[in-house]
Amino acid sequence: MVTKRLIDISEKTVKTALKEGADQAQVASFLLDDTLTRFANSQIHQNIASKTGGIAIKVVMNKKIGTLRVNTLGEKQIEDAVKKVVKIAKVTPHNKDFRSLPEPQKWTPLKGAFDSETALCTPDYRAEKVKEIIETAHSKSSIVKAVAGSFSTGSVAFGISNSLGVSAWAQMSLASINTTVISEVEGSEGFGSAEQYSRFVEDIDHIQVASEAAEKSVKSVKPMKISPGDYEVILSPRAVAVLLSYLGYIGFSATMYQDGQSFVKYHLEKQVFDEKLSVKDDARDSLSLYAVPVDGEGVPKKAVQLIDKGIVSERSICYDSFTAGKEKNKKSTGHSIPPVVRFYPYPRPLPINVIASPGDASIDEMIADTKRGIFVTRFHYTNPLEPTKAILTGLTRDGTFLIENGEISKPVVNLRYTDSMLSALKDIPMIGEKLVQVDDTTAPAMKLKKLRFTGVTEY
Amino acid sequence: MSFDLGKTALEEATKKGASYADIRIGEILDEHLTVKKGVPEEVTLLQTTGFGVRVIVNGAWGFAGSVDLTKKEVIETTQKAVSIALASSKLKKKDVVLASVKTRKGKYSTPMKKDPFKIPIEEKIEILMTAERIIAEHSSFIKSSSAFFRDLREKKLFMSTEGAEINQQITWCGGGLEGIAVKNGEVQRRSYPASFRGNFSTSGYEFFESLALVDNAKKVGKEALQLLDAEKCPSTETSLILSGDQLALQIHESCGHPTELDRALGTEADYAGTSFLVPDKLGKLKYGSKNVNIVADATVPGGLGTFGYDDEGTLAKQVYLVKEGLFTGYQTSRETAAELGFKESSGGMRADSPLALPLIRMTNINLLPGDWKVDEMIEETRKGILMLVNKSWSIDDKRLNFQFGTEIAWEIKNGSKEKMLKNPTYTGITPAFWGTCDAISKEDWEMHGTPNCGKGVPGQVMYVGHGCSTARFRNISVGLIK
Repeated sequence: MVTKRLIDISEKTVKTALKEGADQAQVASFLLDDTLTRFANSQIHQNIASKTGGIAIKVVMNKKIGTLRVNTLGEKQIEDAVKKVVKIAKVTPHNKDFRSLPEPQKWTPLKGAFDSETALCTPDYRAEKVKEIIETAHSKSSIVKAVAGSFSTGSVAFGISNSLGVSAWAQMSLASINTTVISEVEGSEGFGSAEQYSRFVEDIDHIQVASEAAEKSVKSVKPMKISPGDYEVILSPRAVAVLLSYLGYIGFSATMYQDGQSFVKYHLEKQVFDEKLSVKDDARDSLSLYAVPVDGEGVPKKAVQLIDKGIVSERSICYDSFTAGKEKNKKSTGHSIPPVVRFYPYPRPLPINVIASPGDASIDEMIADTKRGIFVTRFHYTNPLEPTKAILTGLTRDGTFLIENGEISKPVVNLRYTDSMLSALKDIPMIGEKLVQVDDTTAPAMKLKKLRFTGVTEY
Repeated sequence: MSFDLGKTALEEATKKGASYADIRIGEILDEHLTVKKGVPEEVTLLQTTGFGVRVIVNGAWGFAGSVDLTKKEVIETTQKAVSIALASSKLKKKDVVLASVKTRKGKYSTPMKKDPFKIPIEEKIEILMTAERIIAEHSSFIKSSSAFFRDLREKKLFMSTEGAEINQQITWCGGGLEGIAVKNGEVQRRSYPASFRGNFSTSGYEFFESLALVDNAKKVGKEALQLLDAEKCPSTETSLILSGDQLALQIHESCGHPTELDRALGTEADYAGTSFLVPDKLGKLKYGSKNVNIVADATVPGGLGTFGYDDEGTLAKQVYLVKEGLFTGYQTSRETAAELGFKESSGGMRADSPLALPLIRMTNINLLPGDWKVDEMIEETRKGILMLVNKSWSIDDKRLNFQFGTEIAWEIKNGSKEKMLKNPTYTGITPAFWGTCDAISKEDWEMHGTPNCGKGVPGQVMYVGHGCSTARFRNISVGLIK
């Protein structure tokens, strides 16, 4: 069993580090199988498989900490790595803020996290589905010019051990299909896109993804220009997920909170968002995509209520053991990023299992309820401008439509929004009844009373 | 050993029917040091080894990579790449064709005086601790202060069935400072010499020393504090002068990415997007004013995108992207070059690890110097704003509508630099913006390293460079935060 092997490697390496003189040691070993079929211009253009694994070792010697990550699980290389990281720790100054590596806590594995069919999905299977995606999209209209996207399948596994007795593991499969369809009429292009994620490849409805992307693309040609300004908006779950994910990044991480950069710090116990908005981070909720029961330090992931009926509080903050140790009576909430991410050890704790509570409206009802507004399929290149005011900017993409008198009337050119989420999410007349998994965030559609658009593109 | 493994892969690929194959075998050492709020927050070494095999079978690509550098694994991974190519070939419209490349047996190593990996960690940390302390001690309003160092070494062997055999060792390093001042819920940040962990160069440790972090720390703390009480950047249309550290990102986003030929041909449509610079516009579109000359140049000494050969074995070179304001060239691979009928690739194929598939990536995208002095540019500006050091960025998926924020700005009034302004932002449409460029400095041209350029699925992060100097743009919308 993969996880047993990883735990054995981690535990053995912890012992080696202690023999080399470490006071405390933490070892995370991991395996990552990544396969991907990427298509564009209605043909496959990239098709890859990558198998990697490695080990991340943290040693503590009299509050001097060194970390080394090496992408091998070979015994000899790991022994060399331990010697090297001990050398690093020895010459590193004391970290006065460090308290201790985490103590062991009871945890239980998550059921339904791993599917061998998804993990072992073949390039032939992916090619077959991609062929059907392309055929479906082209069958929707003769103006469909090109189909692009990716179909990825794979699995991750990690095992974490530390010298205080932590011994925890996780294994998860993951599949996703993302499709962008480009249509063209008289030189005017229309873009549409759709995507689905699941831990089970068979749950992904690739025909639905292709159909949705194609329909949006066909409807998007010859977009009209509209003036920037404040508009009522209906955001698809993908667009909502981007906003919530950025709020997690700039607001709910203990690092941002402790540095005074989080908007949460300045709005504690205040009705900062609409009271219909509740958002939690909960890895054990089956609605969350990333089924990891423990974090990058082997601490069980605890549910954190990020936004409770529009109110944020000290309880909204996500900690790892280091940031928890900097505050009195705080404990890690299990939000150290798992070791499979590229830049592990990641410099800040983050929520990666964000789930917004659903409402009771359908998207059709939201549109019918709107006299004049904008429908947004997705946002592109969103970035924070002022974190304490939660000001974000970004652009719409792949299906932006004008709503007039309760109906989608015309496609519009892509728009730039620049707005504080503290005002944009303050008045949410309607929330969608259906939740959709979008990478690290599970979100419903939302109708916002006002979003400020500050610019327009030319297409 | 590596050579033997490479030969094994190429022989196996050929045996299994590949019409072309290449392999990259490599090792990356990546050292990160961060001092934050008085403690060494990050002392980390990342070590990556492995290989990646690319094959063309039945006219379609396959790629597979692995970390295990054994003969058995190389054979199995090559077979996997072949089977993936066969799957790809079921859905091809035409066979892959590669532009020719002069087959080389070559070597390249980044020139340097002091090997950064030979400098003791404690020596580097001592500089960071000292500089960080100066920022922190400047004021109690400084709530976070950090100092950064990073060095990276990439060793790689490239071999192909066409006979290429190229060994390279690329080394880069650099660092920076950051101070964050907070008062009454307002946050202001200053960085040196650039934001997002500093500036980086393919050089030895002497580059990091030249940054003189300790000497510049006081100014970081001082300006972060001053920004708290500065006036807001006004919302207006005015002359905009951008210093090189901000202009580097402007070039990156609005010229670097849209001139990547894979984007222009639609193969990044699902993720990063496409490009307004479609092939029909090559040689015809007015990208900017006559003053604007932009090149992709992998040969500039010290550039973060400087190397000997790209990851297809193409020799590093300089290619014009924009000449006297006209859009004249693309960054290409061998495959995309052939698609547009170019004789050869621009040499822009790069992968961020031996396990990753090479993509068209920027090398050094440089705005060539003009003939102005910075002082003259300011003296000749009746009303304008000078913006320095990037704080935020966003651009649409065709690379037309952009919006940038910088850390600090200065009002220019009647030819002189007046008061400090906070929260500066500006926006524009790419060709219209570059069309207003009426002055480029000749005296402060330098290379700026961007170690975090993201692209591709799965995502890859590449180190690229931008050479530029202070430049002026007319009638630009600024001050977008109400």
